[in-house]
Amino acid sequence: MRLTRRDFAAGIAAGIAAPYLIKSAHAQGATIKIGMCAPVTGPAAESGGYAIKGAKLALEAVNKAGGILGKQGELIVEDDQTTNPGIVLAFSKLASQPDIVGFLGSIRSTQVHAMAPDVIKLGKPVMIGGTDPNLTHMGNQWLFRCRPNDSYSGRVIAEYGVTTLAKKKWAVLHSTDAFGTAGGKALTAALEKLGAPPVLDQGYANQSQDFTPVVLAIKQSGADILGSYFTFENDLGIFARQLRQLGVNIPWVGSPSIVNITALKLAGPALYNTYGVADYAEDSSEGSKAFGKIYRDAVKVAPDNQSSWTFDAINVMAQAINKAGTTEPAKIREAILAIKKFPGAEGEYNFDQNGDGLHGYNIVKNEKGNITFDKHIEFND
Amino acid sequence: MDLALQLLFTGIGIGAVYALVALGFVLIFRATNVVNFAQGEFSMVAAYLMVVAVEAGLPYWAAFIVALLGMALLGVVFNLGVYYPLRHRTYLPVIIATIGASILLANSVLAIYGPQPQVLEGWFETPGIQVGPVYLDSQYLLIICVTICLVIFNFWFFEKTLLGKKLQATSQDKEMASLLGISVSTMIMITFIYSAVLGGLAGILVAPVLFVSIQMGSTIALKAFAATIIGGFGDVAGAIIGGLALGVIETFGAAYVSVPYKDGFAFLVLIAFLIFRPQGIFGERVAEKA
Repeated sequence: MRLTRRDFAAGIAAGIAAPYLIKSAHAQGATIKIGMCAPVTGPAAESGGYAIKGAKLALEAVNKAGGILGKQGELIVEDDQTTNPGIVLAFSKLASQPDIVGFLGSIRSTQVHAMAPDVIKLGKPVMIGGTDPNLTHMGNQWLFRCRPNDSYSGRVIAEYGVTTLAKKKWAVLHSTDAFGTAGGKALTAALEKLGAPPVLDQGYANQSQDFTPVVLAIKQSGADILGSYFTFENDLGIFARQLRQLGVNIPWVGSPSIVNITALKLAGPALYNTYGVADYAEDSSEGSKAFGKIYRDAVKVAPDNQSSWTFDAINVMAQAINKAGTTEPAKIREAILAIKKFPGAEGEYNFDQNGDGLHGYNIVKNEKGNITFDKHIEFND
Repeated sequence: MDLALQLLFTGIGIGAVYALVALGFVLIFRATNVVNFAQGEFSMVAAYLMVVAVEAGLPYWAAFIVALLGMALLGVVFNLGVYYPLRHRTYLPVIIATIGASILLANSVLAIYGPQPQVLEGWFETPGIQVGPVYLDSQYLLIICVTICLVIFNFWFFEKTLLGKKLQATSQDKEMASLLGISVSTMIMITFIYSAVLGGLAGILVAPVLFVSIQMGSTIALKAFAATIIGGFGDVAGAIIGGLALGVIETFGAAYVSVPYKDGFAFLVLIAFLIFRPQGIFGERVAEKA
């Protein structure tokens, strides 16, 4: 048999194309992959473990109910090391896998800011838990938030402290990272609107070993209520203990970290009788109760927002892909933005055009270590 | 005045922790001429050993002894596994090996115990006492007392005992010490054991205040390293003074200038010392030693 130039060229072309065709066919026939950047190591490794468990529980339920586009969903986790460079690396590893159709980013705003440029370049949907309002207002159409942002938390903290607790002399304490700065600004703005500008606006650097100067500043300011935005539970635990030891017993309304499991364990009685704005409160809705039961049965610890937002993120993404009927990013985006009245663990999802799914917060109280639901405050603007 | 007194107490308390870890840095530096970057991880490992021992049901004092014995063993293993094979090389491979060992220790604890930060109760049931306008945290009081005792012990041990003098001779000139019949390798082994125990002691003492976490060692070690340079690398008194000074400076800086730049004050002082007095308060020139 004579090998012609045409046969040779066809053979070469087939040889080059074959691996890609086989890989493509394999990808089409396999699972629907969702990537997740989570802190497996670093200071947030414990809460990262809860986040992964929340996502896996949701995916199990999705798969039992028929999966995504008729296929089983698969979660691919990369360690973000609780650092900004770590999440950029983790996301780039996931982004290099073309068969991943969507992603879960971080609950930490500073990390979401770090990965945001790469998210735009990739052009695929990324669900986030970071609550800096800017994240969904800076022209990045691929970020979708599964927690209420801090423009709401600031307003809820201020509203509750001024109206319900009738306190007007505020000390505002916040981390100096992106999350804490944005939260502190939102709370200060809300207090000014209510005619109660803070008597102290105090930032602190993450991973501080001692908060004595901060506590003494609060004491000297004459504040009769404290509003806080803590990023890391270690910091919150150390501060809470020193606050009580140095005799400051004013009411304290904190951002969601004040009611998360790690903070409750570390601070113990120092957090008794504090209030928190919580995106997840077990008794706030039927969806929250249902998640609480699934989570307690599977993980044997109380649920908190670390796991509830990833649980919702997977459910929202699965629903959007199923509604879109395709894994094409632009179609998934449209389907996410069209989601209304979706009952999640964190509350009812009504996505706006910025990519924010939730628009209110719950107020909860720490009663001897038990977190009790007080009320939900929803905003329509 | 009340504010200043409260800040002074807290500054000395946190500075005493830096001083204990800095002491470990100095002892190893004097004996081997290298910086042991795993010194902070010694604190972390000891705190976890203490948590494990307490959880196993041992009384607090017994858990304390078990944790310190564990650290002594770690000192032996560290010397044989990290320093001894590289002892005839230049200082650089040894320093890199200590960095590698610190990563290994942190990740080993992470793999064995998991990422959950732990709460270790303090030695005393009473969290602290109010003396006039100043609240004295019982754990910080204990740390300060232990540091004072260690200063006295170190003086006695290094100046008044034969073993201490042998250790000093080894750190000053290994060759001459060897010619005088001192077993240099044994002295270095003892130094590693003592440094590991000191680092462990710092970790156990500070754990009830800062909680027990994988990161606790590296956070303390960074400041302790700065304290060592400020005090004078290679000088025991310098490590103590440097640690205490650093604790006080950063606490007062945070209170009177800026809280977010608290860590910045410590490192500003470090930079100032490196520029204007590189030998530190008591020590010899870093360049000469290196």
